[in-house]
Amino acid sequence: MSMIDVKELKAYYTTEKYGRIYRVRAVDGVSFQVHKNEIYGIAGESGCGKSTLLKAISGLIKPPLEILEGEVIYNFDDQSLNILSLQEDKQRRKVRGIRLSHIPQGSMSVLNPVRRIRKSFQDLIDAHLKLENRTHLNDMNMVKKHLDALGLEWNVMHSFPHQLSGGMRQRITIALATILKPDIIFADEPTTALDVVVQRGVVQLIKKIKKEQQNTLIMVTHDLAIHANLCDRLAIMYAGKIVEEADVNLLFNQPKHPYTQMLLDSLPKLGDKSTRTSAPGTPPSLINVPPGCRFHPRCPEATERCRREIPELVEVEKGHRVACFLEEGSK
Amino acid sequence: MNTKLKKTKPTNIGVEEAKLLTVENVTKVFTKGQGLAKSKIAAVNNVSFSMELDQPEIFTLAGESGSGKSTMAKLILGFEMPTSGRIRYKGERIAKLKGKLEFMRDMQPVFQNPFETFNPLKKIDTYLYETAKNFRMAEAEQPQLVEKSLELVGLSLAEVKDKYPSEMSGGQLQRTSIARALITNPSLLITDEPVSMIDASLRMSIINLFKRLKEEQGVSIIYITHDLATAYYVSDRIAIMLRGQIVEMGSVEKVLDKPLHPYTQLLKASIPTPDPAHKWVSDIALSDLETKEFARVGCKFSGRCPKVQTICKEREPENYMVDGRSVKCHLYK
Repeated sequence: MSMIDVKELKAYYTTEKYGRIYRVRAVDGVSFQVHKNEIYGIAGESGCGKSTLLKAISGLIKPPLEILEGEVIYNFDDQSLNILSLQEDKQRRKVRGIRLSHIPQGSMSVLNPVRRIRKSFQDLIDAHLKLENRTHLNDMNMVKKHLDALGLEWNVMHSFPHQLSGGMRQRITIALATILKPDIIFADEPTTALDVVVQRGVVQLIKKIKKEQQNTLIMVTHDLAIHANLCDRLAIMYAGKIVEEADVNLLFNQPKHPYTQMLLDSLPKLGDKSTRTSAPGTPPSLINVPPGCRFHPRCPEATERCRREIPELVEVEKGHRVACFLEEGSK
Repeated sequence: MNTKLKKTKPTNIGVEEAKLLTVENVTKVFTKGQGLAKSKIAAVNNVSFSMELDQPEIFTLAGESGSGKSTMAKLILGFEMPTSGRIRYKGERIAKLKGKLEFMRDMQPVFQNPFETFNPLKKIDTYLYETAKNFRMAEAEQPQLVEKSLELVGLSLAEVKDKYPSEMSGGQLQRTSIARALITNPSLLITDEPVSMIDASLRMSIINLFKRLKEEQGVSIIYITHDLATAYYVSDRIAIMLRGQIVEMGSVEKVLDKPLHPYTQLLKASIPTPDPAHKWVSDIALSDLETKEFARVGCKFSGRCPKVQTICKEREPENYMVDGRSVKCHLYK
């Protein structure tokens, strides 16, 4: 059974300006399933709705973000629940931290600058664990054990965030997000803005946690090379929709959607100086999305049908879903 | 353009005349804190390299954050003055050229974040006209200059006219930023992480633009980046920087295909390959605190080098010429 089941999810940002309502269609009819113990990657350019998708499925819904349709069902070992139907403060809180956890983007700004790192750990534990049978000493032992397992030094606990390097802060943030051994981890661009060497260290750390705690991971980043390294399955998003989803090996070796092909073609590689081109045009604004297939203005193989009809995400072979009329025709 | 510079001040150094840019033993020390907490950091430490005048090239300065690559750019542009050592541009010292129109016309910067480069309340095309005006380009030619430089970067005047920065994508803004730099017809562009803020699908168009500018316009480019994959694709020579020092420098194929310095080897191994068949398997050592590495005597990399010897912690290695490149490592003595 799948761990997370997302059905026809629509999440829009709604704003009002001069009496007119603007809808940013950041997530527009997205369905996918995440299996237990897998790393599911979501890739796409900035402004394609990947972070919003993550927010929506982890239940972090605050205005102007609105869920219009769809459901997100979690199947834990002992219960299954629809996160969108839970009440914000009481019920969602119970799930967060213990069941779900979130590694945020930008480690520079997530740690409280006026609290020492150990206080941040204490705050997190206080907020999520019940008070019975808990002492400060036990908590700190738990933190210590966790840090040992991740190969981080205890000394950093007494520092303030500004005393640490960017890579260290990111690793602390990851440690903080995983200390309560959550079933599902959402990682939003955890390696962006880090140096290559540190980035590799962070990927290393995420792999280690995954191996030890046996959790399910959803990884969002625009860096396809990181996805190739870390993920089991990968979904490519374009303008609020998933355009292709497959096993990582399949997707990199036999990309079907023209957008995926373009993305992969544009990546430069070491040891290869042949000319790389990038897709013509720019990604559309999500306020005025093009009719039909959203990629058609940039697609070299667009037909009349692509301008009118919206292609569905259909399975073309086992475990490989593509939203393109070209694939439908070839089947 | 070249003759213009020479006319203003005749050069008397015969050897230097043939170089576009020479950086000789440049060191820049920043002081941090006050009183007892005062500490010094050599952000650029004894760096030397040069670029030829008559053969345009793309020279990459690569390294992690805190390696001093952006400080190097500021030193070359004359925004900062070196603590010791000298930088010459076409035979003239930067300290003398600083602030002179002819010099600023000839060397132009392109910055990292196109969303921050432009004032959000100002229309994009005013930047282009203002640059033409401020650099006293002939008034009658100004509109043509603007159009020509926009054409070079693959934009048209209609696309930028009366537009605010918020109406354009990051790729278009960065192109405009490059077009602005090209108005004065410079011989050297200093680009500091020009593609790190640009979307993956548009990134290569900017990189290809640099390649074209070099080949068609004869513009030399200093490309500062942490992204070795694009550096390999676009540049001719590369210098790998670590904590203010250049540890390996040579042609990009040599340095990145077969890195000799252990740090370059680590960097290369850390670039993720967009291919699921090549996943990382082994673990790597991560750096100590930045300040510790800056203050280290001997080789700055000795703290996490897998091939460390006792001499590495005691004496700073010299630059050795191995296989057509310079390597700063005791292993190649």
